[in-house]
Amino acid sequence: MTRFLIRRLLTIVPTLWAIATLTFFMLRWAPGGPFLAERDIPEGVRAQLEHTYGLDRPLGEQYLTFLGRAVRFDFGPSYKYPARQVREIIAGALPVSLELGALALLVALLIGVPIGVVAAVRHNRAEDHAAMGLALAGVSIPNFVLGPLLVLVFSLGLFVLPPALWRGPESRILPVLTLSTAYVAYIARLTRAGMLEVLRQDFVRTARAKGLPEHQVVMRHAMRLGILPVVSYLGPAAARILMGSVVVESVFQIPGLGRYLVNAAFNRDYTLVMGGVLFYAAFLLILNLMVDVAYTWLDPRVELA
Amino acid sequence: MISAAGRLAIVLLAVCAAGCARSRSEDAQLAGGPAYFGDVTPPEHDVFTFNLGAEPESFDPALATGQPDGRVCRLMFEGLTQPDPRTLETRPAQAYRWDVSADGLTYTFHLRPGLTWTDGHPVTAEDFRWSWIRVLRPETGSRYANLLGSVVNATAFTNGELTDERQVGIAAPDDSTLVVRLAAPTAYFLDLTQFYTLLPVPRWTIEQHGNRWTQPANVVSNGPFVLRTWRQNDRFEFTKNPRFWNAAAVRLAGVVGLSLDDQNAATNLYKAGVIDWQPGGYLPSTFIPSLRRYADFVHSGYQGVYFYGFNVTRKPLDNLWVRRALSYAIDRDAIATDLLKKSRDPWGNMTPTGFPGYQHPEPVRFDPELARQYLARGGFPGGRGFPKLSILISTSEDLRRMAEAVQAMWKRELGIDVTITNQEWGSYMQATKSLQFDIVSRSWIGDYLDPNTFLSCFVTGDGNNRTGWSNPGYDQRLRAAAAELEPARRLATLSEAEAILLDESPVAPIYHMATNELIKPYVRGLYPTPLNVHPLTYLWIDRGAPAGATASHQVR
Repeated sequence: MTRFLIRRLLTIVPTLWAIATLTFFMLRWAPGGPFLAERDIPEGVRAQLEHTYGLDRPLGEQYLTFLGRAVRFDFGPSYKYPARQVREIIAGALPVSLELGALALLVALLIGVPIGVVAAVRHNRAEDHAAMGLALAGVSIPNFVLGPLLVLVFSLGLFVLPPALWRGPESRILPVLTLSTAYVAYIARLTRAGMLEVLRQDFVRTARAKGLPEHQVVMRHAMRLGILPVVSYLGPAAARILMGSVVVESVFQIPGLGRYLVNAAFNRDYTLVMGGVLFYAAFLLILNLMVDVAYTWLDPRVELA
Repeated sequence: MISAAGRLAIVLLAVCAAGCARSRSEDAQLAGGPAYFGDVTPPEHDVFTFNLGAEPESFDPALATGQPDGRVCRLMFEGLTQPDPRTLETRPAQAYRWDVSADGLTYTFHLRPGLTWTDGHPVTAEDFRWSWIRVLRPETGSRYANLLGSVVNATAFTNGELTDERQVGIAAPDDSTLVVRLAAPTAYFLDLTQFYTLLPVPRWTIEQHGNRWTQPANVVSNGPFVLRTWRQNDRFEFTKNPRFWNAAAVRLAGVVGLSLDDQNAATNLYKAGVIDWQPGGYLPSTFIPSLRRYADFVHSGYQGVYFYGFNVTRKPLDNLWVRRALSYAIDRDAIATDLLKKSRDPWGNMTPTGFPGYQHPEPVRFDPELARQYLARGGFPGGRGFPKLSILISTSEDLRRMAEAVQAMWKRELGIDVTITNQEWGSYMQATKSLQFDIVSRSWIGDYLDPNTFLSCFVTGDGNNRTGWSNPGYDQRLRAAAAELEPARRLATLSEAEAILLDESPVAPIYHMATNELIKPYVRGLYPTPLNVHPLTYLWIDRGAPAGATASHQVR
């Protein structure tokens, strides 16, 4: 186990380095730059700005400086917001994205898993068809349609929930619902598929033969293996959902990370893009590692080596 | 027995019924009175909430670069002068009067007695001098440093050719007098003193906290409001500044600016009554036709021109007749009326309306017959042999539709084919600046109320020229106008210059910008202005106002 962890952690480092390098050079090769604006900047001022950010140095030197700082998770000040460090921006926006994502993931699990279990147990019956129909609808409706629809009904029609912003518990409801819908649907389908397979296996038959009540067979024995597909899906899903959904954050004007990162790329805010990309990559790699660890705990047949 | 689903349905119905009973009709409307877009219940407290349009990049006045930044700065700081809320004419602010020397070169500002910063320091002329020198210092990185370009030695100082700040023409001989010396008379210099870049900043706070001085915990200011909280990408909250010299006239207890970058969400918040003002530029253009019928929708002219720029360094656009042909074949009426649903006005000049005393030269117009003759004189009768040019636009649905319309007009009237190149903002800026285009979609917005802010762009080699066009007669007229003290003669010279620009057609103006905004009927003291600049200091909330809605539930 320890050896496994060390080995995996060691592969994370070159992966992050490769991502950092690619992003660094792709950004520099993209046309335009952080100090291009509709209105021309005086020459002296531009030279000074470039000097401050080290843009007047050779690219190789800039790259090395960047790597040296990135190791300490220091990306310097944002270009677009000169009074703020990239670190501060991420630190300020991350809790918001984490909260939105965690709530959405929780809702998705709380709704998706039971739907999937019911669908599997009632395989090919009305409940199954209804659940899978709902799941299909959930996967098919994009966030940018669902979000405004919910706003139209609950905020502008019924006046019961705020149409946007992130202030007070009532403001959480619509964005969390919007963000979780696709995940609910996907998790329900994965749970159903996993459960269907497990319910046919010998140990389930044994459990039934022992005379255990059906709900115990399903909940205690079959579930543990049946939700394995969901667990492996959770790693990437969590990384995606926790780091901020650009669409939901934009539709509801939530001050999370997703909105910043997309704008940063358009603005050629080199430091903010680099900080965001590396942070996201590290987050994804670590979550995947956690999923692998969780596997051994859920399925005794899996061994880490 | 009722199933679980049935019970859920009943609960939902009950919620719906309760909600519907509480809600007002779609549009608040008195019997026979005007219709408003959404909730018109005044806020409980005298707090004005508005959409900043985007997250401000900086709220350090010297570094501020756009409308959102400027609005935050102007709430916190007050300059020597301030714009009149209706006309934007220069009015006294921290300076109560000023003298201009007979040669128009020396401006002497006299500060009010007893002005203080929020920490109790007196506001002195030295604070202004230091703040303006800070704008000019290259290491400050102020993108608007050239606003002070007409001040003696200012440009040399910004470009690092001169390091002694005492040689720059800004002096504070005593605590209440600021003397500014200009290298050449500048008719609009007084207007510049309203601009947010020239707001005073507290030296001691900046020296203590560096670039963190604008944090709510550190910031010291001299304006009508004090910054209390700031949450990134979310909101700015201000309360009234009791130390402000004119605090007695400030009727708002607070102001909230929301950093909303999604126009649909912002409009929803306006409709739900969360924000009181949706400023110009932040309404989705597709909403405008249906918003027109509401009494809280305000449409007004804006000091900006949308145009196509021709790269005169490329063939065949180096040919005057070709450029004229292209310009005369654009049906500006069709674009403004059909495509933009009258949200803009067709326009054939490079300077907008609203400069008192300025006579526009003959505008370019839509004349397909003339356009065909011009194209023939340019060597392409009937469009034969015309190379395939491209219109460069930055990514935007409206810009694309407009380019497609122009593409069709040129095909129909001139028989020529052009393509459309769409680039995201950064690439578009790079291409425009380095003349990597044939025809480019652009716009220009005035900084101050003078035709010079439009015409000076097209002087030879100006960083904003971006067409490669150069004309000695034009340059000479702009120089002459800058040196001219007599206002009528100066404007006449500028008008001649504009006539040259239109005749030579390195640019083809298309429409006059407009602002379309939503202002709740209970907001008083907020007027449409030609620069989309809105002093918010003396606004107030009128609770006696329309009482249209029967709202009991405030979504906030």
